[in-house]
Amino acid sequence: MKNAVAVLRKNTMLIVLVLVFLFFTITTKGQMFEALNFNALITQNAYVYILATGMLMCMLTGGNIDLACGSFVCFIGAVGGIFMVIRGMNPLLAVLLMMVIGIVYGSVLGYLIAYLNVPPWIATLAGYLAFRGWGTALLSANSSTGSIAPFPSGFLNAFSGKVFSSPIGQLNVVCIAVGVIASILVVVINIMTRKNKLKKGYEADSMTAVIIKSVLSVAVIMLFAYKLALAGGIPTVLIWVAAIVLVYSFITSKTTLGRYFYTIGGNAEATRLSGIDTRKIMFTAYLNMAVLTVISSYIVIARFQAANSTAGTNYEMDAISACVVGGVSAYGGSGTVSGMVVGATLIGVINLGMSLMGIDANWQKVVKGVVLLAAVVFEILNNKDTSKA
Amino acid sequence: MGGVKITDILKKYTMVIALILVVAFFYWKTGGKILLPQNINNLISQNAYVFVLAAGMLLCILTGGNIDLACGSVVCFIGGIGAVIMSKNINVWVAVLVMLVGGILVGIWQGFWIAYVKVPPFIATLAGMYAFRGLSNVVLQGMTVGIGNSTFLNVFGGGAECYVPDLFGKGSLNVTCLLLGIIIAVIYVAFVLKNRISAKTKDYATAPLATEIIKMFIVCAVVIWIFYKLAQYKGIPTSLIWIAVVLVVYGYITSKTTMGRYLYAVGGNEKATKLSGIDPRKVYFFAYVNMGLMSGLAGILTVARACGAQPTFGQGYEMDAIAACFVGGASAYGGEGNVFGVVIGATLMGVINMGMSIMGVEANYQKVVKGLVLLIAIVFDVMSKKQKK
Repeated sequence: MKNAVAVLRKNTMLIVLVLVFLFFTITTKGQMFEALNFNALITQNAYVYILATGMLMCMLTGGNIDLACGSFVCFIGAVGGIFMVIRGMNPLLAVLLMMVIGIVYGSVLGYLIAYLNVPPWIATLAGYLAFRGWGTALLSANSSTGSIAPFPSGFLNAFSGKVFSSPIGQLNVVCIAVGVIASILVVVINIMTRKNKLKKGYEADSMTAVIIKSVLSVAVIMLFAYKLALAGGIPTVLIWVAAIVLVYSFITSKTTLGRYFYTIGGNAEATRLSGIDTRKIMFTAYLNMAVLTVISSYIVIARFQAANSTAGTNYEMDAISACVVGGVSAYGGSGTVSGMVVGATLIGVINLGMSLMGIDANWQKVVKGVVLLAAVVFEILNNKDTSKA
Repeated sequence: MGGVKITDILKKYTMVIALILVVAFFYWKTGGKILLPQNINNLISQNAYVFVLAAGMLLCILTGGNIDLACGSVVCFIGGIGAVIMSKNINVWVAVLVMLVGGILVGIWQGFWIAYVKVPPFIATLAGMYAFRGLSNVVLQGMTVGIGNSTFLNVFGGGAECYVPDLFGKGSLNVTCLLLGIIIAVIYVAFVLKNRISAKTKDYATAPLATEIIKMFIVCAVVIWIFYKLAQYKGIPTSLIWIAVVLVVYGYITSKTTMGRYLYAVGGNEKATKLSGIDPRKVYFFAYVNMGLMSGLAGILTVARACGAQPTFGQGYEMDAIAACFVGGASAYGGEGNVFGVVIGATLMGVINMGMSIMGVEANYQKVVKGLVLLIAIVFDVMSKKQKK
């Protein structure tokens, strides 16, 4: 019985996700479960996963956030538009230049926060304002409509559309094959992890738990693969999202650098005294945030096929919510990439579900705010319980 | 006499000097337009909300660099409610009461989560920023609701008649206004002298008489000059009365009351404060409830000034208030800052805004400049703290 409670507690958000999904499937009379909506869930929320990954790294260092990322998405998008559309620059060169600008910005931001001790929310609040203004100014100076288009097809293909696309409704073989491979990998990894742990004498989950976990994961992966295969194939952005999520979950769980983020968030002073340069870690967190912000900007402009002055509005909110809902501590030191993925998906499902139900955009904002608050309160109360026990 | 060094004075009054320089810059750039009576008048009425919100924000910041990101949305929400009530021909004072109580309720809601559940302020208020923005859209149903009630507009600084009437007939110079300026100057002088005498009798250290006389002279000159300018236009804008009331009340609260000192104590060292028997939760709660009240008042002033409510009102107001506090020398880590500084900070931001508008700088670049000013102020603050250590 105790085990069941522990499993429930560990996977609360996952269970909430399933329940919310079922709720919307019922209230939208099955619309939610249609192949195109699976596709929409990924393409619409790709930026959330990417920004939330960066935000996670910032938050781990002690609940620090980046309020500027949404505005920077707009600004760097405008810069990209000027490079590629107005100047007709080679897309690859433009993409590289955008990244360079992002890195310069990230270094300045990181320097201010890590070395000058400017509180992160103030430094990024300044950026929030400045980059929205600058981005909008660039767009309106270069186009009468305030939006720059059309982007070259090479760029669009790299960051939007489908890989090996097939007509909608027809089963895409590549997509199914990738699903099968991913499923096999997951099962193999699960079994290997258990074997390794046992060999080293660590505590490991029971064989039944591993089997249940593997079966559930395979079911989810195959469901997604099947639905996406019917919707025309693998969305290109899914590859970007998957790559980033995998890399960062490796960094956070397996590398020394990744562990430093947690120790700083846990106790910055102790970390510093054990000889780790905490400033470097803070610097890395914000530099990294800028890099991921640029990548999500590629995806956002490619999805809208234009650089808009409204691009990126409230993205910071989405990223922070995804982290907090996914169990990342608002005080730093705890949180995982997989939790964040669940959180981002949950918010994506809520957004999509509400849109399908025809709920007014204003109420959606209210719901988003309440979900964010509820998630933090839940996390705080939950932690209080466990620390007492 | 030797105790006072020029550098000390420079350091203490950096922002005052910056303000003078900025005014001089815009005076030069706009060919003197910035100091026209009408523009001084506009400076006050346009920035009334900044003074009011910044006074509330100061209390939050004092408790440890905590902020309220929701106040802009709350301004819109409360303003929207008021406009809708007034459009239903309900008594104006009922509407005003509802707005102020509404502000307090919002403050209680946020204060509860922040103080008693320990939700980090930036997350709680970020959630509020979205939720109340959504709710204001719902209240206003996405439309502009006009306010035609002349009592409301006159009292809270909107429309053409929002000036304190001239008691001495209608000359080209508003005598009431000028007289009030002189009275304020006299009260100020009396106040300073009384403080000085009481300090002398208690054997406290006092500044040299010469410096104090110079300071008194400058302050009186500035006050009378401002009122002279106002008298040349239409007299005292009613919004100035509200600003003055708020600033005097908060100047008093922060410097003379126990609750005011608690705010500094909590910001300086929360743990020590707690151990000396003060409940920090009550202090946080007070700060945020008060912030709600100020947002309510700012909502009233905003809709009065615009003669109506729109769902886009209040965007970026949180930024203006925060910037005013930091530019005015409040510490981003809490425990330091005063109402006088906020007045200087808010005026500086107002002058920059107005100067840029007169110069015809595009609104987008104004945002960029505002962001930079905020950043410079904060870096300056952080750097000068470092030197002290």
